[in-house]
Amino acid sequence: MTLQLIVQMAITGVTLGLIYGLIAIGLTLIFGVMRIIQYAHGEIYMLGAYFLYYWFDKWHLPYWAGFVMSAVVIFFFGAGLQLLLFRPLHGKDMLYSLAVSLALIFIISSAGIIAFGAVIRGISSFVTGQIRIAGAEWTYERMVIAGISLVLIIALWFLLQRTKIGLAMRAVAEDPETSSLQGINNRRIHWVAMGLGSALSAMAGCLMGTLMFIVPSMGFLATIKAFMIVIMGGLGSVPGALVGGFVIGFIDSFLTTLATSELAYIIGFVTIFVILVFKPSGLFGQAWE
Amino acid sequence: MNDNSTARLRRSPLLAVLLWVIGVTLLLAFPFIISQESYILHVAIVVFFNICLATSMWLIWSLGFVSFAHAGFMGIGAYTSALFLLRLGLPLWVGVWAGALVGAVIALVVSLPLMRTRAVYFFMASWAVGEVIKRIFAYYRSFFGGWEGLFKIMPPKLGPIDFANRTAYYYLAMALMVLIVLAVYRMNKTRTGWIFWSIHEAEVLSSHVGIHALKYKVAAFTIASTLAAMTGALYAHYHMYINPRSFDIWASEFALVHIIVGGLSTVAGPVLGATFLTIVDELLRPTEFYRIIIFGVILILTVLFLPGGLESIPRRIRARFWRLPDDKENQKSILKAFGKGRK
Repeated sequence: MTLQLIVQMAITGVTLGLIYGLIAIGLTLIFGVMRIIQYAHGEIYMLGAYFLYYWFDKWHLPYWAGFVMSAVVIFFFGAGLQLLLFRPLHGKDMLYSLAVSLALIFIISSAGIIAFGAVIRGISSFVTGQIRIAGAEWTYERMVIAGISLVLIIALWFLLQRTKIGLAMRAVAEDPETSSLQGINNRRIHWVAMGLGSALSAMAGCLMGTLMFIVPSMGFLATIKAFMIVIMGGLGSVPGALVGGFVIGFIDSFLTTLATSELAYIIGFVTIFVILVFKPSGLFGQAWE
Repeated sequence: MNDNSTARLRRSPLLAVLLWVIGVTLLLAFPFIISQESYILHVAIVVFFNICLATSMWLIWSLGFVSFAHAGFMGIGAYTSALFLLRLGLPLWVGVWAGALVGAVIALVVSLPLMRTRAVYFFMASWAVGEVIKRIFAYYRSFFGGWEGLFKIMPPKLGPIDFANRTAYYYLAMALMVLIVLAVYRMNKTRTGWIFWSIHEAEVLSSHVGIHALKYKVAAFTIASTLAAMTGALYAHYHMYINPRSFDIWASEFALVHIIVGGLSTVAGPVLGATFLTIVDELLRPTEFYRIIIFGVILILTVLFLPGGLESIPRRIRARFWRLPDDKENQKSILKAFGKGRK
């Protein structure tokens, strides 16, 4: 195994890790604030990617405007889902939110196949070219994508830690009753958090669609990854989601190159299982009931 | 006054016995009522398998867990029984018990760590177990046949009866269905069943009362997974062909949908849900992808507007016509009787 191969795999691992981290942070935000299992998170990611595909490749509009539009549209889509479907189930058994999001998977992925066709497509690159460092190829596209993911993650951290609405979200996640006693409108925080989580997922979908390919069934794969990561890092924990993203990203990158993607899955799931055996609430998680 | 008369209507033993007799006769005579039409028999057999899967999954639910490894254990039973036939030449009669044994051992070993996790973490951990089972079948190509699966899993013979005949297999599948439903129903009525529900309601409290929660959780998971493995063995010999995709998370999810649409609180739920949805599924088959969309819509409508599932319909009708205390008041009185509910 040469240095070149290792560097190449590490680049892929970091890029994948950041994008996975983005999806997983969206999921963990939704769970942390509302305590619902948003099982259809990957379908949202798929919708985001398809929005950009139509915007950029079909309608030939500017890439970055499409990226932002995709995030905005999916923000309101997610918020709408919260207001319409998840709000009535608030405070009920978690099974009900699981069932509703399961139904959303059925509806969105089948509707996706009908509307978009079960064909593999790709969003065209916004930039071409590459440089060589340490024998490995660093494409500009990959570097920009990693950079954007990093900026988005930092921006979210800033939002959660340094702004008023972020403080409110953390308060609701910590203790909904006390936070509403402090004058926080819990319902508004709920739909904002749901929209924000969905928008993060949609942006990750745009980036992943540019890097790899898009297909209507890509959502479920993302759901699997997102849940693996979030469970590994601990539900509701943003740093945990980032660490988990890197772990899964590196497992994917190294094992897919050195062995097969089949083995990458098996190892990934076994890793999750072993972590849960020793730390039943994930690496950084609290014991949510 | 009013309450007494309705109570008599509700609990009339003669009516109940009559209904049971009619039900069992219909079930037994069904192949001849439809003059052994092949397609309808096929649907009936699929209904039985789905009832088996949903009912055994409901047993785990009675402790408050939803196992996404359930279809994986069905796969273990199916593959064990199929390999017994293909490699050793032993028929289903041996294979089903071998499958049950292998399923039970694996379930026992896996559930010891698995059952320590809770709520969402259990959901994910059991998902991981199911996915690893499926992918191991796919990965060891030479032994398990890879993604292409195993072929020519012939149905067994018993004396003069050849179970390649659908009518014969109907009775075999029905026997398993009755066995599983009765076993789960009886278990739910016993002390053990009450202990399961006590863990469901308040695990910490029940362990303070002296219930070894982990022991019961492991037992319930193992029993339910064993029943799923037996279902899998019959499934393999019916379809004569299995591949890892038949046992992935979607199979577990459809079982979960059957339970939710049917109702969560009694064993009638999974039976009703699996029957209703399998028939709806077959009726919608020509609509291709719209079928799955309609499934999703049914699920959402059930959760939002009929949270008790299909099994609560008779009670709702009774409440409307005989002015029984309706759902909410019922719940309130139950909560009052038990002191106080959760949250």
